[in-house]
Amino acid sequence: MYVLPAFAVYFCFAVLPALHTAYLSLFEWDGVTLGDWVGLGNYQEIFQDSILRRSVLNALVLVVFFSFIPIVVGLAMTGLLARFRRPGMGAYRFLFMLPQVVPLVAVGVTWRWLYGDDGLVNQTFRAVGLDGVTRAWLGDFGAALIAVGLVGTWVLSGLCMMLFLSGVQKVDSSLYEAARLDGAGPVREFVSVTLPHLRGEIAVAMTVTTVAALASFDIVYVTTNGGPGEQTTVPGLLVYRLAFSEGKVGLAAALAVVLGCLILGIVYLINRLSRSES
Amino acid sequence: MMERTHRVRRRVAATVCAAALVLPLTACDALTPGSAAAVPGPRSVPSSTAVPDGDITLRLQFADAPLMVDALIAAFEKGHPNITVEPQYKTFSDYVQNLKLTMTSDTAPDIAQYAVGMTDLAADGHILDLAPYREAYGWDKAIPPVSLDQLTAGQTSEATGGRALFGVPAGLSMTGIYYNKELAQKAGIDGPPKTMAEFEDQLAAAKDADLTPLGVGALDSGGLHLWAALLNQLMPTDDYWDWVNGTNGATIETPAAVKASKLVIDWGRKGYYNDSANGTAQVDSTAQFAKGDSVFLINGNWAAGQLATVMGDNVGFFPMPGEEASAPTVASGFSVSYAVASRTEHPEAAGAFLDFLTTPEAGQIISDNGFMPPNPDAVKKPEGVLADIAEGHRRAVADDGITTFPDFAAPAMLDRLRSGVQKLIANRIDPSDYLDSLQDEWEEHHAE
Repeated sequence: MYVLPAFAVYFCFAVLPALHTAYLSLFEWDGVTLGDWVGLGNYQEIFQDSILRRSVLNALVLVVFFSFIPIVVGLAMTGLLARFRRPGMGAYRFLFMLPQVVPLVAVGVTWRWLYGDDGLVNQTFRAVGLDGVTRAWLGDFGAALIAVGLVGTWVLSGLCMMLFLSGVQKVDSSLYEAARLDGAGPVREFVSVTLPHLRGEIAVAMTVTTVAALASFDIVYVTTNGGPGEQTTVPGLLVYRLAFSEGKVGLAAALAVVLGCLILGIVYLINRLSRSES
Repeated sequence: MMERTHRVRRRVAATVCAAALVLPLTACDALTPGSAAAVPGPRSVPSSTAVPDGDITLRLQFADAPLMVDALIAAFEKGHPNITVEPQYKTFSDYVQNLKLTMTSDTAPDIAQYAVGMTDLAADGHILDLAPYREAYGWDKAIPPVSLDQLTAGQTSEATGGRALFGVPAGLSMTGIYYNKELAQKAGIDGPPKTMAEFEDQLAAAKDADLTPLGVGALDSGGLHLWAALLNQLMPTDDYWDWVNGTNGATIETPAAVKASKLVIDWGRKGYYNDSANGTAQVDSTAQFAKGDSVFLINGNWAAGQLATVMGDNVGFFPMPGEEASAPTVASGFSVSYAVASRTEHPEAAGAFLDFLTTPEAGQIISDNGFMPPNPDAVKKPEGVLADIAEGHRRAVADDGITTFPDFAAPAMLDRLRSGVQKLIANRIDPSDYLDSLQDEWEEHHAE
């Protein structure tokens, strides 16, 4: 009974819209006039669309940049910082947490400048004599997806680090003392003491970042809008385009449902794996 | 006892959950998407030109030329002190993508800039048919009929039985090539080219002089202007119109379109574009051109005000030349027009504002901002690059050569064009595959 108020709010603002989306996905609807019932026709159309398959692949590549690399970076930072208590840690944490505080649209616009022709990235390369490497990163067919992915790496590494640092603080300090008495070096200590205790935090970080990668929209929309060609097109962007610029709301809803199921499946998998290991 | 209350509680919870799940299902009728109900508000406008007294606020949503709109509003408010016009500026892509939601919402603006999606909205009754005003205000005399015909959405007027009218043009647009006179001279280019072949020679000359020949901003919609400009010269205008208008059996998969697409690839291979064309937004390419980064720039007249301010007499403009010097002048263009939402509570005041747009005073403001006023005879002759544009536009109008932009062919066409032209520029797609993707989109839309 005590959960009822929370449940009611959640139901109205999360479950009901989700059900409505699933319901809309069964219609062919332009967003204005009366929709036509098409059953599962929209889903059929989705699985035949090559641009869509391409966008799912792109999203999976983004998982590497949004999830895998930030977790590795976060763990490395934790290994370096957790052992020592030094003055200035607060400022350091603040700096790494900063990307979380800035709206992603602003992040995207800023990185668009950085990646530009005369942006800081190219200026840096020129300054160190790597003129051959410079390019318009977001307009390059080979580099655009990686460039967008690295923005995500920048945003999410700090989040992972914060999660892991807070996790480390729960670890009984006597364990570290014991490890040190046994002659463990920093690496051994990290692998044997820190890492096992962070399993829960890693699972959380993986869930959050993978969802961010698969549902990515804002960074891509602001930086490349899916271009050049379809190099950085992601499903989230297609949902937006289908619904708002192409007037295919039913198809967009169907794609959103498929995307939602994909994300739920992957999150379930992550949870299963992290539980079976512990 | 304890056990029992537990069971009761659980049962209550289960009932609540079940009810919560079933409720939305019984409410299905209300959830059926869309509505066939009539739009609230006046569907047609009164045929009188009287504007009621009392304070009125009109909300105006638009996407092009904020400076021009501000100036127009200021001039209008001076003549109508009781009417306040509140401008709401949005970037072009935001505007177009949200147009349908905006215009069908309860908070729709009173006046909105006409855009691609308006044809569907007009058909559903969300845009006011202004035909009665055309007669009451005498717009047929103030505005050349060709500009009004673009705004009828192919419908007849319920109110007058004649042609419908869903907007009033305030400034006409056109794409073409800007050139930096100083840099052109440095490359030995002595004036605007007369044929496309001559233009290619000039691009080559600029390349030889170690300059960037042509500035293209293809990150957003800028690349499409290049492709459309070439297509305009190579494809018969009637065939192009048939395709954009969705005439049965029309196709873009023609030898002419293949040739135009191939030119985009060739020019890229020869290094005629700025290195990062695909990574540069249209406004950024314009800024780079103003700094002197390229000899030529492809863009529309909407950039003219900015370029004239920065570059003064150093910038000129010409429409993309045809294959022969005698070929008609053809260029993409449309009018920056304003429509009135059916939900407006002040159709009379909105009508007065639209009528103001047709006056010589408004025409002068439009002209000063680099757009062609609907009635060019009513304004004083522009100077510099604005004169070049006015002259180019005059020739195109005389040759019946103003064609709408290719993305008007279908709502999703802009996305196909943008990514397709990016691939052409990077030489990553075969022209026939590119055109095939456009035609697929066209057929999907027009099959409905």
